[in-house]
Amino acid sequence: MSAWHDLVTASLIGTERTVVPAVAIPGLPPLDDENGDPAAMLLDRAALLTAARRAGRHLDQAEPLPASEPDPRPAVSQAAARRLARMLGGDHPDLLAEWLRAVTTRGVRLPPQFLPVLLDLARRAGSKDPALVRLVAEAGGPRARWLAGLNPDWEPVLEETLGQDDVWRLGTASQRRAYLRALRARDPGAARELIADGWAAAGPDERLMFVSVLADGLSLADESLLEAALDDRTAFVRKMAADVLAALPGSAFSLRMAERAVRWLRMEHGEHGPRLMIVPPAGTDAAMRRDGITSDPGPGTSQARYIGLVLEIVARTPPWAWTRQFGLPPAKIVAMPAGDLGPSNPSLFTAWSRAALSQGDQEWMNALVNRALTGKPPLTQAELGALTRLIRQADPRLGAPDVLPRPGPEMLPALWHAIRTLRFRYEMLKELDT
Amino acid sequence: MIVLAPDASSLRAAQPLASVRSWPVTGAADGSTLEGGTLWGECRGSAATPYRTVVDLSGPAYRCSCPSRKFPCKHALALMLLWSEGAIGPDGDLPDWAAGWLATRSARQTATNTEAKDPKPPADPAAAQRRADQREARVAAGLAELDRWLCDQVREGLAASQRSEYRHWDDIAARMVDAQAPGLAERLRALASVPHSGPGWEGRLLEEYAMTRLLVTAFRDLDKLPPPLRDTVRSRIGFTVRQADLLARAVPVRDRWHVLARRDLDQDRIQTRRVWLRGRRTGRPALVLSFAAAGQSLDASLRVGAETDADLTFYPGVVPLRALVTARRDTVPGGTPPGTTATGLLDGYAAALGQDPWLETWPVVLEATPARAPLPCLRDAAGDAVALHPAAGDCWPLFALSGGRPLTVAGEWTPRGLWPLTAWDEGGRPVQL
Repeated sequence: MSAWHDLVTASLIGTERTVVPAVAIPGLPPLDDENGDPAAMLLDRAALLTAARRAGRHLDQAEPLPASEPDPRPAVSQAAARRLARMLGGDHPDLLAEWLRAVTTRGVRLPPQFLPVLLDLARRAGSKDPALVRLVAEAGGPRARWLAGLNPDWEPVLEETLGQDDVWRLGTASQRRAYLRALRARDPGAARELIADGWAAAGPDERLMFVSVLADGLSLADESLLEAALDDRTAFVRKMAADVLAALPGSAFSLRMAERAVRWLRMEHGEHGPRLMIVPPAGTDAAMRRDGITSDPGPGTSQARYIGLVLEIVARTPPWAWTRQFGLPPAKIVAMPAGDLGPSNPSLFTAWSRAALSQGDQEWMNALVNRALTGKPPLTQAELGALTRLIRQADPRLGAPDVLPRPGPEMLPALWHAIRTLRFRYEMLKELDT
Repeated sequence: MIVLAPDASSLRAAQPLASVRSWPVTGAADGSTLEGGTLWGECRGSAATPYRTVVDLSGPAYRCSCPSRKFPCKHALALMLLWSEGAIGPDGDLPDWAAGWLATRSARQTATNTEAKDPKPPADPAAAQRRADQREARVAAGLAELDRWLCDQVREGLAASQRSEYRHWDDIAARMVDAQAPGLAERLRALASVPHSGPGWEGRLLEEYAMTRLLVTAFRDLDKLPPPLRDTVRSRIGFTVRQADLLARAVPVRDRWHVLARRDLDQDRIQTRRVWLRGRRTGRPALVLSFAAAGQSLDASLRVGAETDADLTFYPGVVPLRALVTARRDTVPGGTPPGTTATGLLDGYAAALGQDPWLETWPVVLEATPARAPLPCLRDAAGDAVALHPAAGDCWPLFALSGGRPLTVAGEWTPRGLWPLTAWDEGGRPVQL
């Protein structure tokens, strides 16, 4: 449309300095508008041409995109789709990973219109949260891969970094970590072998990374490697190894912890029924220090310091030790008054929560959540933090209607929020099963 | 009512207040009309002075002296609950505090080209006619000034526009407000962003100036135009039709109206909602507008994807689109609507444009596959494509939904391309984009 182009050029220059180009509209008689103001003439011709151009617009041509591979999984329910929209809109976004995991384990398909937002989330999470990236890739399925192929921003998100041994041999520290994490997720044994082979030559930072990678997909097969790391030259590697071992059910480490713990936290039968008492330990020995119990009360210790020491042991003791030692169910144990513990921080509640969470002990988590929500409410920041973690891991059936009290205005905000979160998790998972 | 509450907790908070005992002073005016009506009341609460609440049912819009930041607040909701139970009689004089708020609100509405609502017929027909004549004269004078301004732009050259500030357009827009031509004012205000809208801006600015002058010349020769085109010109300049007059004059169209798409726009702290419908039987497109001040909730009664047996009363015009819903019956899910091809889309728009040359937003339903050439577009089964609007962005949700397969998309066709608003998934459910 060069006539239009000529008009635009003339309008840019201004009719003061140029002539108004002639315009012919196909199908219309020649214009007879020569006797007016040139500016008005230009505008009138432009109006005519604008309408003609808009009405006579040409079709574009485009190559079709290759279609995405079909996703055979059945779609999630409408309720689940609405919930995903809510979560992406800021309602309980921290439960998104659990929702995605539930979607993948149930073999259902999420509504594809949300994939762009999820891919953006995964891109931002990047190497900081490889688990989320994996979940998005898995839940997104072939449609997510197809989309990622269209957008250079998303392409690296789902790119398999595996298969490139060069990355492991020659990559930077963060590339090696990403490689190892991905391998661990796919094949825990292969990752363990790579760590075992590389241990002797690795510096302290890399050894720390090795131990932290083992925390994902942990099994008894990792135990000897971690036990060896307890004797590492570097303190923070030893500490990390102790933390990881504490999360391994059935390990020799947890048996050693259980043996210590029951010596120093005992049940007494007083006038008002059973209660828990702390027996002051004499101090730490070499075996304890090897297992990561580092705070040494020393001579002339204050009460608070040895309580702290015992609680540190409790936090690494598998909770079943208490059930066996006292012959009582978890609910009874966590409800028991604790004699001379006082308002200590961190408290027994916090220590038990850490132990139940790291061992994934559902029965104990449920007992602790119940105590916090229906019995003795958590008070300190540490206790509230422990509750926040518990309600994300505890059995979501706790959130079923009528299991917990209804949230009411008289309730502490933290408890109210905890109950809401449990209810959200319960409903979110129930929707995926229908 | 429940629909108006910002959330469930507000409604819960309002229920205990919805008792006559909490409201020593209440009143209502014109509560019997379809759209209009004002409620007011003083609510006795914990504070020393009562909270004063006004509800304009036509918006609805709310005003309350309470410190709550929710719109509507619990007092306004309680007042409406009371009214819906018939506990507020249509008696009592509008107190000054309520009248003051209504006056400022109505002034604001007129300025933003929303409907002027005057439920009462003019008291003095002769005076009303005089006012109308005065306005015609004022608009004509304003348009003559605008014509000179438009010609000056082209005479001096548009090249200078890229260096101009917003004031350049705001000044002439303000003069059109003074000339009582708010439609033109809005059009001119929107032009300030054109010089910064990317390559091709000079062509788009020339188009806008040219089509605006076409309105000016059309108004000058209004008597020579056929009546429906006259209505179109007048409404684009900013003359409004009173709802009462419209309802008295126009014949409603009954059909099963499928709600195809919805678009919300924010302009000068006023939100505008455009809801596009299409009649199953008549095939007619329709546009239902609603407005709300910032923070207020927009009318959500027309849900995208629903099909409602309703009466629509159309505003007059050569291509009547804007309508009021004047009666509603049952509502069912509408399923996937039939879509046209790229050629059908352009033909339909060309036909409408032949009637109304200013038509720049045209509702379409297209059956096509999103593609990139390299910019996002929609490609139909014959291989013909139409571009998506550049400002609509990458439209990734649309691509994700399609997966490279055809789907049905509803949206607004504009001279710059299609603005996609709704797509239907394989289960026939609407997805708002």
